[in-house]
Amino acid sequence: MAGYILKRLVSAVPVLLGISIIVFLIMAMIPGDPATAILGSFATPENVAALNEDLGLDKPLVQRYFIWLGNMLQGDFGRSFALNRPVLDEVTERFNATLVLAGSAFILCTVFGIAAGVISAANQYGLADKAITFVVLLGISIPSFFLGMMMILVFAVNLRWFPVSGMWPIFGDRTLWVLLDHLAMPATALAVVATGVVARLSRSAMLEVLRQDFIRTARAKGVHERRVIWGHALRAAMVSIIPVLGLQAGFVLSGAVYIEMVFQWPGVGRMLVDAILRRDILLVQGGVVFVAACYVMFNIMVDVAQSLLDPRIKT
Amino acid sequence: MSAFLRLLARNRLALGGLIVLGIVVILALLTPVLPLKPPNVTDTPNRFLPPFSEGAVLGTDHLGRDLLSRLMWGTRLSLAVGFAAAVIAATIGAAIGIVAGYYGGRTDNVIMRGVDMLMAFPYILLALAIVAALGPGLMNALIAVAAVNIPFFARNIRGITVGIANKEFVDAAKLAGMSDAKIIVTEVLPNVIPVIVIAMSTTVGWMILETAGLSFLGLGSQPPRADLGSMLGEARSALITNPHTSIVPGLMILVIVMAINLLGDGVRDALDPRLKSGALSRPMPATMVSRTGPIPQAEGDDLLAVRDLKTQFHVKDRVYKAVGGVDLSLKPGECVGLIGESGSGKSVTALSIMGLVASPPGVITGGAVHYKGEDLVGAPYDVLRSLRGRHVAYIFQDPQATLHPLYTVGDQLIEAVSSHRRISRDEGRAHAIDLLKQVRIPNAENRIDSYPHELSGGMRQRVGIAMALANDPEIIIADEPTTALDVTVQAQILTLLDDLRRDRGLAILFITHDFGVVAQLCDRVAVMYAGRIVEKGPTDAILNAPAHPYTAKLMACVPELGAGRRRLEAIPGLPPGVDQLPRGCAFADRCHRVTEACRARAIPLEAHGAERSVRCIHPVEAPKTEAAQ
Repeated sequence: MAGYILKRLVSAVPVLLGISIIVFLIMAMIPGDPATAILGSFATPENVAALNEDLGLDKPLVQRYFIWLGNMLQGDFGRSFALNRPVLDEVTERFNATLVLAGSAFILCTVFGIAAGVISAANQYGLADKAITFVVLLGISIPSFFLGMMMILVFAVNLRWFPVSGMWPIFGDRTLWVLLDHLAMPATALAVVATGVVARLSRSAMLEVLRQDFIRTARAKGVHERRVIWGHALRAAMVSIIPVLGLQAGFVLSGAVYIEMVFQWPGVGRMLVDAILRRDILLVQGGVVFVAACYVMFNIMVDVAQSLLDPRIKT
Repeated sequence: MSAFLRLLARNRLALGGLIVLGIVVILALLTPVLPLKPPNVTDTPNRFLPPFSEGAVLGTDHLGRDLLSRLMWGTRLSLAVGFAAAVIAATIGAAIGIVAGYYGGRTDNVIMRGVDMLMAFPYILLALAIVAALGPGLMNALIAVAAVNIPFFARNIRGITVGIANKEFVDAAKLAGMSDAKIIVTEVLPNVIPVIVIAMSTTVGWMILETAGLSFLGLGSQPPRADLGSMLGEARSALITNPHTSIVPGLMILVIVMAINLLGDGVRDALDPRLKSGALSRPMPATMVSRTGPIPQAEGDDLLAVRDLKTQFHVKDRVYKAVGGVDLSLKPGECVGLIGESGSGKSVTALSIMGLVASPPGVITGGAVHYKGEDLVGAPYDVLRSLRGRHVAYIFQDPQATLHPLYTVGDQLIEAVSSHRRISRDEGRAHAIDLLKQVRIPNAENRIDSYPHELSGGMRQRVGIAMALANDPEIIIADEPTTALDVTVQAQILTLLDDLRRDRGLAILFITHDFGVVAQLCDRVAVMYAGRIVEKGPTDAILNAPAHPYTAKLMACVPELGAGRRRLEAIPGLPPGVDQLPRGCAFADRCHRVTEACRARAIPLEAHGAERSVRCIHPVEAPKTEAAQ
C-alpha cells in the first residue's frame, strides 16, 4: 500500500509541473506589462524599467518560468502588491476558510447524494424515486449563487434562523457552535448541485449493479434485502461512485467561489476574484497553483481510497 | 431520425423542456422587435418599483431601469453566450479528440497528457486564470468557459473515435487509398456526431450557468449591458430591501437551465440504446406474481413439488412464455435432472422456485411451488427469505460473476449463515473454514481471506457449493454448476456433489444441457423444450430408450457418454421463440416424425409405461438406433 501511495505521488509530479506551466503561460498572455499595472498609468518609464528588473520581467520567458518555479519550491510565491504581504501567507489563510466550507459541502453531498441515489434505485419508478429525481433535477438546475441569495432572504432575513453572512461574528466568541451556525447555509447552498450530480450517478451505478449475478446470489443466500441494497449493491456501486466524488470535489471547490461571494465567506475564491479585479497577478497566480495542487493531492487520496475498496486494483 | 424524435416526444418531461426552451428562445430572438422600454435608460426617481407597477410589469431596478426589458435583453445575451461557448468548446474539443483518437500513438499520447493536465484543475480556477489574464469582459468570459470545457469534449470524442478508427470500414477506406482527411470527414465524423450532440445537450446548461456565474462575480458582461448573471450580481446589494430585482433574473436562469437539462436527459435517453429496451430495470427482491386460473393444491409427500408453473417475461407489449406449465417433484435424497437446450426455460424454472427470476420483466403467472406442502409462489418476502439458503440453496453457473468481487470468500460464507441465525465472528470463521474443507479446498485457513478474483474457476465453484451447504439445506438447486469449467474440474465437482448427496441426504435439482452429467448423477430426469417438459422418467429408462423424438435427437448429438464437451447443434433448425409458440407441438418443425395431427392441437404430457411420461403422439418406440438414423 505504501508503495502504491508513493507511486501515485510520483506520478503527480508531471501533473503539478503541467499545472504550473499552464498557469504560467496563461499569465504570460497578459497584455501590457504588470509593472505598469502595479505602478499605475502615471509611472515614469524609469520606474517601470526598475520594477521590471526587480520582478525579473526583463528576462526571457523560459528563464522566468524556472525562477518562478524555483521560488515556489522554496515556499516563496511572491508578494501581493495590493495587500503587501507574502502571497503564500494570504493564500493558506484564505484556503483554510475555503476548506471548512468546501469540506463540509463535500461531506454533505457525499452522504446525501449517495443515500438519495440508493433510495431512488431501490424504489425505481416508485414514488420516492420520482420525488428524488425531481428534486435532483431542480438541484442541478439552480445556480448556487441564486440559491444562496434566496436562502439568505428566507432563513436569515425572514426566519432569522441563521446569520446573514460571514464566517465569524465581528464580536463574540469563536466557538465551534458559532462556526456551524455560520456554516450551515453556505455549506448547504454549495452542496446542492454536487448532491444532485452524485445522486444521479449513484442511482445509475446502483441500477447497473443490481442486475449483476452476485446480487442474485446474495438474495439466494437469504440475505435481507436491506443488506443486499446497502451492503452488497452499494459496495459494488462505490467502485464507480468514488471517481465521481473526486470530480465533485473539483465542482465544490469551484462553486465555493460563488458561495464565498454571496455569503461574504473569507475564502480563497473571494480572494481570487478580488485579486483579478485589482489585477493583483502574483496573488492570482499563486492562489491558482496552490489550490490546483491541493486538488491534485486530494485526487490521489481518492485513488488510494478506491484501491482500499477494490482489491482487484493492483497496488 | 424520426424514431429518435418519436422517442423524444414520448418522453413528456423532455417535451416540456423543449417547449419551455423553445418559448424562451423565440422570445429572446424577438426581443429587439418587441414593444419594450430601452433596457439601459436610467430613471432614478422611479427606482425599485415593485412588480406589477404601472408601466413596469416586473418593476424597476436600482437605477430605475425596466426589469422586464432588461430581463429579455439579458436572457438573449445569456443564451447567446452559453450556446456560443458550447459550440466553440464542442468544435475545438471534438477536433482535438478526433485527431488524437484517429492518429493514435504518439500524437494521442501528447494530446491526452495535455488534456489530463487541464482536467487536473477545478474548472473555475482555469476560468478565473484566463479571465485574469485577458481582463474582465463578456467575450473573455465566453472564451474562458469554452476553453475550460474543451478537455471534456476532447476526451469523450477521443474515446469514440478510437473505437471507430479500428473498425473494418475505416480499414477498407484506407486500403482504397482515401486520404486521412477524407476518411475523417466521411467515415469518422458522421459516427461521432451523435456523441457530440449528447455531450452538448448535457453541458450547454452548465455553460449558461458558468457564464452567468462569471458575470455574477463581475468578471463577465460589464455595465450597462447586462446578462442574467450580472443582473443578479448587481441586484445582490439590494437583496434584502428589494428582493424582486434578484428573484426575476434568478428564476429565469433556473427555468432556462432546467428546460435544457430536461431536454438533454430526453436526448440522452433517446440516443442511448441501452435505455430503449428498459434493460436498466432493477430486479425486485422477489419475482412478481400475478396468477390467473386455479391454484393447484398440495398433494403427496414430496419435499418439493412444482405444479403447472408458468413464468413469463413481459417486455413492452411482448410476452415471452419462458415456462409454460411445468410439473416437477423432488423427494428427500433424490437427484432430479432438468435437461434442455439453452433458452428452453430450465433455468427460469429453477429460479422461479424461490422467486429469484429477475422482475421486471419476469412474472409468475400461474401454478404453485409446494415446499413441504406450503405454496411459495406469492408467499410473503420474509417467508421466502427465511427459506432461501437455509432450506433451499442454489449453486449457480459461472462463479466469476456470481460471487461478490469485493467481499472475501470467508465473509461471503459467514454471511450465508449469519443471514439466518446469530453467529459470533470466531464461530463463523471456524464454520467457514470447515465448509471450505468439506468442498476440498486445500489450505482453507488461508483461502478464507482470499477475494474471488484470487481463486481459479474450479475453486470459485467450490466456494459456491460451500456457500450452498452453509446452512445444511434440504434441497440444492444447481443451475449448470459445471458448464463454465473444464472437464477434469467438472468431474471433480460432480463427484463432490454426489458424495454430499449420499452423506447428507440432500435432494438435488440438477439443471444441465449435458446427458453425460445426468447419467452420472441423476435418479430421474425431465427433458424441457420451449418452456415445457416433453419427457420425464427414470434416468436409465430414458437414456436407454428415449420416447420423445427431441430426447432422441438430443442424445444422438452426444457422441459418447462421459467424454468431452457436447454440443447440441446437430438438430436442424432452432427452437421456436417463446413469444410466438405454435398451438401444437413446439418441436414439430424440427421433427422427422411430424404429421398434421401434431400441429392441430396442444399435446398433453401422457403416461408412457409405468414411471414415464412423454408429450408426443408419435413417440419413438424402438431405442437409439432408429432415432439416430
